[in-house]
Amino acid sequence: MNSLRIVADRLQAGSSGEIDPNVAARRRRAAQIMLTVGAILLIALGGATTPSFLTFDNAMVVIRQASVTGIVALGMSYVTISGNLFALSAEELAILTACIFGWLMRAKFGLALSLLATLIFAGLGGAVQGAVIGLGADPIITTLAFGGFFRGLASVVSGNQNILLGTNAAEWLGTARPLGVPTQSWAFLFLTPLAWFVLQKTRVGRVLLLTGANREAARATGLRVDQAGLIGVTLLGICCGMAGISAAAQFGQAVANLFQGLNFDVVAAILVGGIALRGGQGSPIQAALGAAFIALLENFMLLNDLSSGWRMTVVGALVTLATCVFHLLQRRR
Amino acid sequence: MVRRDTINELGIRAGFMLVVYLTFALQLPNYHTATGIAALLDGAVLIGTVSVGVGISMLAGEFDLSVGSLAALTGIIVVQAVGLGVFPAMLVGVAFAAVIGALQGLAIGILGVNSLVFTIGSLIGLRGLAMVISGENSVTIPIDHLDEIDFFTDRYFGIFSPLSLGMVAVFVLFGLFLRFTRWGREIYAIGGGRNEAKAAGVPLLRPMVIAFTCSGALAGLGGSVLSLRLGSATPLGFDTLLLSAATTCLIGGIALDGGRGNVIGIAIGLFTLRFFITGVASLGAPYYVQNLAAGALLILVIAGQIGFRALHRRRAFHRA
Amino acid sequence: MQNNDVLRMRGIAKRYGSLTALHGVDFTLARGEVMALLGENGAGKSTLVKILAGLERADGGSIEIDGQHVRLRSPVQALHAGVAYVTQELSIIAPLSVAENICLGGGEPHAIWTARALRARVQPYLDLVGLGGIDPAMPAGSLPLAQQQLVEIARLLSRNARILILDEPTAALSDAEIEMVKSVVRKLAAEGRSIIYVTHRLGEVFEIADRVTIFRNGRSFDPVPVRNLDIDELIEHLLGRRLEQMFPERATSLGPPVLALREVTAPGLRRPVSLDLHRGEILGLAGQLGSGANAILRAVAGVAPYDGGTIAMRGRTINPRSVREAIKLSIAYCSDDRKRDGIFAVRNLYETFTSPALPRITVGGLLSRRREVQLSSELASFFEVALSRLDTHAGKLSGGNQQKVALGKWLGIEPAILLVEEPTRGVDVGARAEIYRHLRKLASQGLCVMFASSDNQEVLGLADSIATFFRGRLVRVVRAEGIQPEELLRDVTHPDESQPGMAA
Repeated sequence: MNSLRIVADRLQAGSSGEIDPNVAARRRRAAQIMLTVGAILLIALGGATTPSFLTFDNAMVVIRQASVTGIVALGMSYVTISGNLFALSAEELAILTACIFGWLMRAKFGLALSLLATLIFAGLGGAVQGAVIGLGADPIITTLAFGGFFRGLASVVSGNQNILLGTNAAEWLGTARPLGVPTQSWAFLFLTPLAWFVLQKTRVGRVLLLTGANREAARATGLRVDQAGLIGVTLLGICCGMAGISAAAQFGQAVANLFQGLNFDVVAAILVGGIALRGGQGSPIQAALGAAFIALLENFMLLNDLSSGWRMTVVGALVTLATCVFHLLQRRR
Repeated sequence: MVRRDTINELGIRAGFMLVVYLTFALQLPNYHTATGIAALLDGAVLIGTVSVGVGISMLAGEFDLSVGSLAALTGIIVVQAVGLGVFPAMLVGVAFAAVIGALQGLAIGILGVNSLVFTIGSLIGLRGLAMVISGENSVTIPIDHLDEIDFFTDRYFGIFSPLSLGMVAVFVLFGLFLRFTRWGREIYAIGGGRNEAKAAGVPLLRPMVIAFTCSGALAGLGGSVLSLRLGSATPLGFDTLLLSAATTCLIGGIALDGGRGNVIGIAIGLFTLRFFITGVASLGAPYYVQNLAAGALLILVIAGQIGFRALHRRRAFHRA
Repeated sequence: MQNNDVLRMRGIAKRYGSLTALHGVDFTLARGEVMALLGENGAGKSTLVKILAGLERADGGSIEIDGQHVRLRSPVQALHAGVAYVTQELSIIAPLSVAENICLGGGEPHAIWTARALRARVQPYLDLVGLGGIDPAMPAGSLPLAQQQLVEIARLLSRNARILILDEPTAALSDAEIEMVKSVVRKLAAEGRSIIYVTHRLGEVFEIADRVTIFRNGRSFDPVPVRNLDIDELIEHLLGRRLEQMFPERATSLGPPVLALREVTAPGLRRPVSLDLHRGEILGLAGQLGSGANAILRAVAGVAPYDGGTIAMRGRTINPRSVREAIKLSIAYCSDDRKRDGIFAVRNLYETFTSPALPRITVGGLLSRRREVQLSSELASFFEVALSRLDTHAGKLSGGNQQKVALGKWLGIEPAILLVEEPTRGVDVGARAEIYRHLRKLASQGLCVMFASSDNQEVLGLADSIATFFRGRLVRVVRAEGIQPEELLRDVTHPDESQPGMAA
């Protein structure tokens, strides 16, 4: 009886001509397959051609490199999945929080208080943007504006000079390697499943997903649509805060030229990870994998003495390619 | 009826510009001397030229994020090619930038991919290329060619330099193009109502390619003239260009969702921004405070537009 | 007559899956005539005009224009052959001028467009559609809707359209605007162009058309000259086969009133409306596009809040300002566009079913997978959606199943009132019967259902009480047993009304 119904349903679906194949799942699968194949090829190629590539030390380098980008990419995935494309202010907010953290440490507020205050500030920095976007402003332009503002503010806070922390209380945060793995990487490894869990298993995450999937339907269902965007950008802000703190702690100082190109690395991680930019689909894990893949690629190119210009060109080409391929996959029935 | 609205709107924006101007002009005596005006015009050349291009892509309902990278890349190419002579080098650079823009327009038009997403790839890649070509260092015009760029400091009518005259020409030419040619109107059409335009039989690809060619070429033009004037170009330059151009267009009333706005608005936006920045600067604020001010200004504009829209909607609702 | 035919369609057939929309229909159109197409929803008239406009492809049959065999595979091809289709959805680009709207996308040869050159080019066409007095340089978006429609017609005329299809051109217009459109239609016909006029308002047919072609259940009758037409005969022809077996039994007794509307005015209504909805009742609001039936639902649902009168729920005045507030009052609302705001096409059915009732599946902020499965299975089995499909994406379902999901998700909040627009639009016959049965089952369990529909059969078959609407006014409220199909059709189309706006 039941199976008959299924057959009938299928016939119906097939005949009505409005079936939309399981695009997202296929897309995610395609993205994962491509990423995996790409990573394997890269590792094989790297192992065969570059002696220092497949070593434990280098693995640690790659992981650390992936970590900071990865942490911010996790936050960015929330922005994308909640239907707000991406934010172009991540880099600037990270710089600003680094400066604020440095300033607080230098002013001897103590590690705990400085950490707390910086993270709260980072969250607020995200929330303000989220609120403006929630009122109907375009996310890209809004974050572009806030990016300029944050960068300026960072210079003002630092007086456009390096801020020395003046204490090594925070040094552990930036440079320690518990069990041989850098702290940033621990944070990344811990945050990735957490980000996945929050999105998939909590009510907040569900509202975010549904809002990204169909804003109108979410509103008609009585969900707090404006809150979803706010939460997404706020979480991104907190991730930027973590990146900023770790950098300030690592170098013992905050500089206004930290995080060169972070915005684009993060967006690249999202795109290469195959998260659909129209929202409502994908998972932070894809962003994490994207960040890891890009770190691997960058490391491989670095070991092969490619200049940073070439590395950037390759990443740009990869992003363009990924955009086109995923777009076509999505469009094909 | 609505034409009067348009004029009113431009009037409001021009009024805002005047307020910004007067705020600073009252405190700064040399603000309205010939030298002051000339400096103001010269300072506006880069952003003005590029804003027209960005504005055209916005009129088409798209957005070109890659203008900063393209300006940097073109600047490097032109400085390196200056041995050909200044104008041939500029021609090469602008042609190159136009081709890049056209290719982007083609890809976006054919694939139907969101231009914000597509141009972020080119933003990264073109910056990379700029670094590759320049060997990751600033490039400078060889000393024996330096005299060829001397004419950039010429003065006409007391206030114009060749560059600011060029910018005026860009505004006039593109203003006429957008207003009085079929191709220009097609750009408005695909921005003002993509589906309606399609239903009316407007080809989508042509205006898309033209819009991105314009934004590419003008980004290239802006990058090359500025690099030539400075005598050097750096691959990491022009990183705040996009922010300034977007601010200019938004202040000038180019609608983000396309189809509304014109070149006069861009000019008003340009001078509002320049008055503001130079005003802040001449009050003694360091350059990074100018960034802060520019960002804050754009935030203010965005907030103002949201408020205005909400008000407008409420009024429209009550009228209905 | 034979030689005067500009269009001849023979044996046009079209199937949508199991549903046959057209069984080999013949249709002819003479030069210089206004031909009205009449038929109930789903009778096949819109399918026929879409085939003629190149929007749909026929499965069989032939089309001749001026005696020439033509293939109409796209709107562009159709326009080339001289066929133009004007729908409710205009393709007017608001920020551009009237003249530019007419010239864009057409064969305007010059590249330089000055206001003067364009004016010279478009003036004849504007004169033709009665817009000679407006300034062609003004933005088209600033014109009222009717004039925009005329601009669209002018554009099509400028491209040599000889056969104009007007699809319900007056549905959203005011009385004065309707007169304007009608006079343009007469003028164009007098000029030798042919007009196919699709409408639901019988009164207009008598005023404007020369002949009428009636569609019923996917077949067409031979065209009848309007002067030979008798209203009662027309109505009898129009009424399709009744599918009694599709509809469940009516309610035997109704409970106390739950919702009371008193002298309510709202956007989309021209006169205040008073209505009562009882516990266990299904109230059908019958009316065509622009009748005001949907406006009532939207006012109660908080989509377009009402601005006069009172709406009381169980004796307490309510005035929801948003959908969220309405939901808190246990009022659930399904719009007529489920793709836009009814389902989450890229999320699975578990998530779509539970979306309004997230608190019910949340324990301490965390989603309980067990509760989610339980709730969505419950809702799915109530609406007979196969449980095995719960993990597929909502967008992948057929129209019928999508509608079941869009409706079913609301049961999670245990609503007191369910408001539904067009409950079976785009749903095939089999799933329709199921949806009717489920709605009845819900009503018999004590829910109040109020639905708006332009499908008279549906209203007659499903509702316990019927409120009929015409052009923003409530015509009357009756018990479903107390109204004949002919009367209902008269109420919502007003065939006797020679002057629009003057109701019987």
